[in-house]
Amino acid sequence: MLRMSGIVKSYGPTRVLEDVDLAVEAGEVMALMGENGAGKSTLVKILAGIEPADGGTISIDGAAVSIRSPGHAQAAGIGYVAQELSIVESLSVAENVFLGDETLGFFRSAASLARRARPYLERVGLDHIDPLSLAEEHSVAERQLVEIARLLSRKARIAILDEPTAALSETEIVRVKAAVRTLAAEGCAIIYVTHRMPEVFDLTQKVTVLRNGKSFPAVETAGLSIGDLIEAMLGRQLGQMFPPRAAHAGEEILRLDACRASGLKAPVSLSLRKGEILALAGQVGSGAGAVLRMLAGVTPIQSGSVTLEGGAYAPSGIAGSIARKVLYCSDDRKRDGIFAVRSVPENLSAPALSAVSRFGLLSPALEGEHVTRIARQFGLGERFLGRLAGNLSGGNQQKVALGKWIGLDPKILLVEEPTRGVDVGARSEIYSHLRKLADEGLSIIFASSDTQEVLGLADRIASFFHGELVRICDADDVTAESLTRDVTRASEAA
Amino acid sequence: MTSETKSNLARLGLMIAVYLILAARIPSYYSQPGIAALLDSAVLAGIIAIGVGLTMIAGEMDLSVGSMAAFAGILSIQLFPYGMVPVLVIVVLFCGLLGALQGYCIYKLNISSMVFTIGTLIALRGLTLVVSNEKTVLIPFENIAETDFLSAKFFVFSIPSATLLVLVLLVDFFSRRTLWGREIFAIGGGRGEARAAGVSIRRPIIVAFSISAALAGLAGALLSFRTGSASPLGFEAVLLEAVTACLIGGIALAGGRGSILGVLIGLFTIRFLVSGIAALGAPFWMQSLATGALLIFVIIAEAAIGYVTRRRRMARALTA
Amino acid sequence: MTSQDVSHRAKVTLPKTAYGLIAILVLLVVASVTTPGFARVDNIFVVIRAASLTGIVAIGMSYITISGNLFALSASALGALLAVLFALLTAALGFAAGLFLTLGIAVLCGLAQSVAISLIGNPIITTLAFGTVFRGLAALFSGNSILRIESEAALWLGTARPLGIPTQSWAFIIAAILSWFIIRHFKIGREIVLCGANPKAAVASGLRVGLVTAIACAALSIGVAVMAIMTVSQFSQAKADLFMGYDFDYIAAVLVGGIALRGGKGTPLQAALGAVLIALLQNFMLLHGLSAGVRMTIVGLLVIASISLFHILQGRGR
Repeated sequence: MLRMSGIVKSYGPTRVLEDVDLAVEAGEVMALMGENGAGKSTLVKILAGIEPADGGTISIDGAAVSIRSPGHAQAAGIGYVAQELSIVESLSVAENVFLGDETLGFFRSAASLARRARPYLERVGLDHIDPLSLAEEHSVAERQLVEIARLLSRKARIAILDEPTAALSETEIVRVKAAVRTLAAEGCAIIYVTHRMPEVFDLTQKVTVLRNGKSFPAVETAGLSIGDLIEAMLGRQLGQMFPPRAAHAGEEILRLDACRASGLKAPVSLSLRKGEILALAGQVGSGAGAVLRMLAGVTPIQSGSVTLEGGAYAPSGIAGSIARKVLYCSDDRKRDGIFAVRSVPENLSAPALSAVSRFGLLSPALEGEHVTRIARQFGLGERFLGRLAGNLSGGNQQKVALGKWIGLDPKILLVEEPTRGVDVGARSEIYSHLRKLADEGLSIIFASSDTQEVLGLADRIASFFHGELVRICDADDVTAESLTRDVTRASEAA
Repeated sequence: MTSETKSNLARLGLMIAVYLILAARIPSYYSQPGIAALLDSAVLAGIIAIGVGLTMIAGEMDLSVGSMAAFAGILSIQLFPYGMVPVLVIVVLFCGLLGALQGYCIYKLNISSMVFTIGTLIALRGLTLVVSNEKTVLIPFENIAETDFLSAKFFVFSIPSATLLVLVLLVDFFSRRTLWGREIFAIGGGRGEARAAGVSIRRPIIVAFSISAALAGLAGALLSFRTGSASPLGFEAVLLEAVTACLIGGIALAGGRGSILGVLIGLFTIRFLVSGIAALGAPFWMQSLATGALLIFVIIAEAAIGYVTRRRRMARALTA
Repeated sequence: MTSQDVSHRAKVTLPKTAYGLIAILVLLVVASVTTPGFARVDNIFVVIRAASLTGIVAIGMSYITISGNLFALSASALGALLAVLFALLTAALGFAAGLFLTLGIAVLCGLAQSVAISLIGNPIITTLAFGTVFRGLAALFSGNSILRIESEAALWLGTARPLGIPTQSWAFIIAAILSWFIIRHFKIGREIVLCGANPKAAVASGLRVGLVTAIACAALSIGVAVMAIMTVSQFSQAKADLFMGYDFDYIAAVLVGGIALRGGKGTPLQAALGAVLIALLQNFMLLHGLSAGVRMTIVGLLVIASISLFHILQGRGR
């Protein structure tokens, strides 16, 4: 039904997709898999009309179509459920089902919308909810199902679901899977982007794997072994990117005992030693990021205890964690990592203003020294220092976002997705800077969904799936395959 | 009962309480002419509050309504010789068009509407001064009787106050039951989400600002006709009362929530209070002081309630 | 390093202050050529004096804008309240006590507003409400009548010309330089800029966003107090409807000066230049016999044009 062939896409000099082919038939659920950065979301966005392709053809039912905008995609019968939901919380469920649909006429009453929405809601298993209730009264899973009901109402013939289960619990996933089966039973062709093995084997008929922007021919799921699948996904050999590991780690600096926080479904216990790099490996919604946010004081510790250097540690807010020299770098540097409209030096000295001023006055000498020290440590050349942070490349922005903390002499650095949106060259630089800091005695915890990064950078690895800690091992005892099994819960799919 | 109905009932209760407390001390509050006067006093801020409320629901805010009303007032008095009804129609359409242009600029520039409408607020006021030669304009004395019907009472209603009530019902219907109205709610409730779902952002912004300007124009023209004069410096204080009416009436500062009927409740809460203060003999500046204090009280109360509900919802999520 | 880095290197950008200076120079040249009497020394003094008091408040307003809180609509009403209080206090306790108490009350009024802004998150609505309360209190305290003061010190403050320059202009120049220095070289100045640039990143970096809002509101209030005290001193009287409608001049000065409304950019010097520019323009239009309405229209259009232009220059349009 849908055929994409020879799709090419570059961002600047970086080629994200090279000659990708993909085909789905009506009534079929096809898994689209691949490591982070393999090009899945770019491919999906091209199909949804959000990004234009640089080359290649898309045809539906044999006829070539040109998709240049989300409107085109919708007209061609393509429906897209993104990872970030498009449900307006202050509107009713029924209105959300028909949001953006102008075919229902100018006049619309709540009751008639509810009547029209009900059949679609029933088909996705939401028959028990009142279509007139507000979307905000319902769980994330139910909102996800409302999005699928919207696809149904628009008579989408091709549905793209981008990690629809990332933030859901096991029981909720069952409902989403049922809704996806309904969609397929009605003759819809479904592209299902996921990281979760159980869902792949449970739900899909075919798998297309992307690796480094190239596609493998689709394979029948039934004849596939987990081993084959993982092997197909892991092709990247970037061993030289990573600095050698630490020879030995120091004494314990941080200990978590049965801690729970928002985003964790089971208590987490782990420990961190001085000079050690600990990876929390896991996909979106796995709980890896939740542990970091809890330690940073962004979300409160609900139960359990944290010990920092022998003393109790329970930060109230970000300021509390900063005071204890536990510093946090979020995964969205544009949002809260950098001051885009200010210069690089001003960014680098932002958390350390007290240290670079005397009697309330900024000291240019102290600030200059502070900035130069960080810039040297993080390989930010002189020529970058006069620029606005927002005008730097992703890699250099990330160096700024990380580097600004170094000036505070942190004890523990918490980093979420240390190299998201960072090009390959800058990545290996950031890795070696982090390793150097660890060698100097800094303890680092990073959360990452990038298998290679976890394997290459960490001394120890804690793998997370679905809000639970799966296991903690020394990095030497982990292979790409075993890690991928852990973070996709391959054991349950077997 | 949904939380929205509950909060609306609470607001209605507040309004009735204010009425009862003051009615106990002011006899005119339950006389027929007294109620008619209360209704009439609400017309200006009421009609304007409907439009401001719509822009607030869209997650924006139109601060230029006072200047727009003054502009429309001057225009309509100057054009009076062409007949009241045609002038009213033309002035309202013209203001609506200006509002649409303003909405388009706000959409196109992707700029904060509060900033942009401050600019138009100044420029329109200046334009009003230019058009009026900086003088109060009057309907010729021999024609003044022609406008008397605007002050005539039918039971407790005059034509302006009946217009206010009809407009509230109409715009409430529009905002609840039409595609364009629901789009205004959608982009106010979640702009990013609405856009991702395929809702156009341009149309609801233009519609909201155009209605807001048209209603401000209508209010300015009606009031000027009724008094037979228009001052280029008039209607400056109306913005505060309109915004206060919207906020007391349950329109969220963040957008996306509230209703036009709620604005009516908020409006009469203020009117009962302010007219009551005036009837009890307080000087005129006491009225704006009371409105301002009420607004501060309401927004701080809303912020506090919002904080508590968020905490409670979070606590519920944690225990679940 | 990637191509993204390179593309921005070649771009030479003038500091924003330069645009304001260029505009002032152009206006000066055009005005002197086309307008007899414009370039005369006494007229220039008139302009500077007119710009001074507006400029002081505009400088205060720029703190609000730079800290990311758009602007305040309560400045003129606060001015009236402080003028009334200054007159009352001076009459009762003498000039010095009046001066310091007024400044103290100004700071308290600023802090009250900052608390409300932090709670509500909408500075414009908050200050709109506070504005009416201030205006009402001014009427209340003055009994809605004209208050007169008799104080030699106040008269000196209002009318003296040390070194031939009016005290108002001295205050303006000092405020501009001091504010520039605070924003550029004080720790709190840097915090104001950073909080305006990205409030979320400021919180994540441990900066005190609430304190910054408080300081910005207090700075504006002090500017307003200076204006109120100088005006009352100059005319030896105060009443509750002083400064009515002046808010737009302050905002216009900030906007025309090109301070980015999203915060985190610009300096108080730009607001000062904006005030001078508006005063020059007003004077120029006045000498050409333009009516108040035309002048207001032109200022309003200038405001719309400058916010649109700076907005487009930042590439934020669609």
